Amino acid sequence: MSSSPTEAGGGGEGRAASAAATLVSVLMPQMGVSVAEGTITEWRKRPGDWVEADETICDVTTDKIDVEIPAPAAGRVERILVDAGQTVPVGTALAEIDSAARPGEAHPDEHGEETKERAPAPDSADAVAAEGEVDRSGFFSPVVRRIAAEHGVDLAAVRGTGVGGRVRKKDVLAYIADGGAEAPGRPEPVLHMESPYQRAQEAERAPKAAPAPAGDGAAAPPAAAEGRREPMSPMRQQIARHMVESRRTAAHCTTIVEVDLSRVAARRAELREPLARRGVKLTYLAFVAVAAVEALERHPRLNASVAGDEIVYHDDVNLGIAVALDDGLIVPVIRQAQRLSLEGMAAAIADVAERARAKRLEPDDVHGGTFTITNPGQFGAVLATPIINQPQVAILDLEAVVKRPVVVAGPGGEDAIAIRPMTYLCMSWDHRALDGADAARFLGAIKRRLESWS
Amino acid sequence: MAELTYLQAISDGLREEMRRDESVFCLGEDIGAFGGAFKVTDGFIEEFGPERVLDTPLAEGAIIGTAIGAAIEGLRPVCEMQFADFISCGFDQLVNVAAKMHYRQGIAVPMVVRLPSGGGFSGGPFHSQNPEAWFLQAPGLKVVAPATAADAKGLLVSAIRDPNPVCFMEHKGLYRHVRGEVPEGEHTVPIGEARVAREGEEMSVIAYGSSVHLALQAAEELGESIEVLDLRTLCPLDREAILSSARKTGKVLVAHEATRSCAVGAEVAAIIAEEAFEDLDAPVRRLTAPDVPIPFSPSLEQAVLPQLDDMKEACRELLAY
Repeated sequence: MSSSPTEAGGGGEGRAASAAATLVSVLMPQMGVSVAEGTITEWRKRPGDWVEADETICDVTTDKIDVEIPAPAAGRVERILVDAGQTVPVGTALAEIDSAARPGEAHPDEHGEETKERAPAPDSADAVAAEGEVDRSGFFSPVVRRIAAEHGVDLAAVRGTGVGGRVRKKDVLAYIADGGAEAPGRPEPVLHMESPYQRAQEAERAPKAAPAPAGDGAAAPPAAAEGRREPMSPMRQQIARHMVESRRTAAHCTTIVEVDLSRVAARRAELREPLARRGVKLTYLAFVAVAAVEALERHPRLNASVAGDEIVYHDDVNLGIAVALDDGLIVPVIRQAQRLSLEGMAAAIADVAERARAKRLEPDDVHGGTFTITNPGQFGAVLATPIINQPQVAILDLEAVVKRPVVVAGPGGEDAIAIRPMTYLCMSWDHRALDGADAARFLGAIKRRLESWS
Repeated sequence: MAELTYLQAISDGLREEMRRDESVFCLGEDIGAFGGAFKVTDGFIEEFGPERVLDTPLAEGAIIGTAIGAAIEGLRPVCEMQFADFISCGFDQLVNVAAKMHYRQGIAVPMVVRLPSGGGFSGGPFHSQNPEAWFLQAPGLKVVAPATAADAKGLLVSAIRDPNPVCFMEHKGLYRHVRGEVPEGEHTVPIGEARVAREGEEMSVIAYGSSVHLALQAAEELGESIEVLDLRTLCPLDREAILSSARKTGKVLVAHEATRSCAVGAEVAAIIAEEAFEDLDAPVRRLTAPDVPIPFSPSLEQAVLPQLDDMKEACRELLAY
């Protein structure tokens, strides 16, 4: 072996046996027509690992969906070409698999001791790892992790005194006691340039570097490092990006109508049993979706997209249904929703929702929507102002159905008070593409349809 | 307070209970005229008569069975196994009849089985075992294992007064080597409560019986801040005390003379792993006998049973971790 440390993947000797290697590339696949690139979220295999054909080798996220990439062949992972976190175009080689390798052959990493000793040792003069000891400076016990998280301590900065340089509980406690959590040289990340906390912290830190002028010893504000930090999931990042982008792009307005759902409730009660027998769960959402699709056909200005200085009016209604997930949400699309009956709509909504929650949507399932309905009312909220799903021009929000006293026409045409299942339909729309009257007319059409349902 | 040996403390507790409560009686092999193989009941037959100090045949099944019958009828028998090892002959009566009586029929079986256990005197495989874990798999039994003279008396009295069958593990190695102040007269130690035998911050040794003394001596000689928790009761375990010590120090060594697998140490380690994981600063370690029978040969026996040096080494490793 040469004297310089070799890269992950092992030295030349380890590969001698596979001189006749047959390398198969793992490619970033084409995931639906609209996806041009993908980001590796996680490698399930390391170089040297054995992988079966079709076994998941890595996870990829796109701006639409997460997918697992299957190995194209059985073999040993020779090289990983794209690291986790990187985004590459469809067709890019992600890794190479040596399909000529046999299972059970020595793993490059299994020449353990040799490689470990060659691993660069910590340079610092006070490194505690003794000769021959396994380096444990990167291992953190549960209690050390917990204390570090509670105090916002960067464990890399804590000197370990345990075996192999391990950071012990008392090391991290001593570090905190010494004020290490706020040590100079590791400033807290700036949350906001104008944050008063940031300035105050700097002021507090200053005296440590240089003697402070008298009178500057005002009571220190509480450290801003409290709480727990975790990175946003790729989905969370996508949502964040899309929502801010939409707010920046569209001229959002929200129009609200109140709808009496008595007729819908009656019809739902009638149909619920027979539909359930056919495996279809009939929800208020299905009625609203059908009414909205019918209204969209008569009000094409709402079934549209903005593309630069043009407005594209769509022939089909591809209806997006927002589905809440554990941490996030996804909007699968029901294509050509204008073809669906009430029962078909209910079944289609159940289908996409179920597949969304099972993370089994195909990339094309979340692409090409022309109008979106969101329905968080199950949690009891009655009003909301949703953000438009770009490049669409409107999003309809169905909130909770609540019994309220309302004024209705009595038998003789006189005013009477009745208890009715009521809901608000809140629609955010893009003032670039349409005006308030369009929105009101469209909502009025939905309201009339729902209130006269037979 | 009188300074008594561990053995005298057991005698004292048993005698006082027999004086206090006429329903308490004892039975076992050679416990009457001979005063017991280890002389725990020396002088008892003279004081209480052969009706309450029964010399039995060499039949542990009969001893336990007789005690169960007597307990159901309202007496409070205290059985002596000459050696804990011999309980296997009375096992069915103990784990199937005594332990399950209350569950099956709602009938209390207030009885105590004294089990002289432990090695260290070349007794070989039939006279040196620490079979406490056998009973932990028989719900319905309580198991106590005192380490000190005071606890030996206090736990025996509590065991006699307890409405359940209680296995009283008395370590033979402690009989004459451990002595201490023991309250005279009425003295009870609650079943199910561990005792912090030594306060410490850096690590905990959770032990019982003979291992408590090893741990205390190791802590003393190492001069480190080692906490020693004496479990005292093995069933029911004092989970709160175990978890509180584990949370305090983050490093736990569980020590006992009994063999390793599926024993008290394994259970204690599991409790800590399940409920105090986020407070751990090191893996929970065990210091136990290996899974082998106890050899006759003194040097081999020494190699098998945990010794002071083993305890010190285990503590040093965990302290350094």
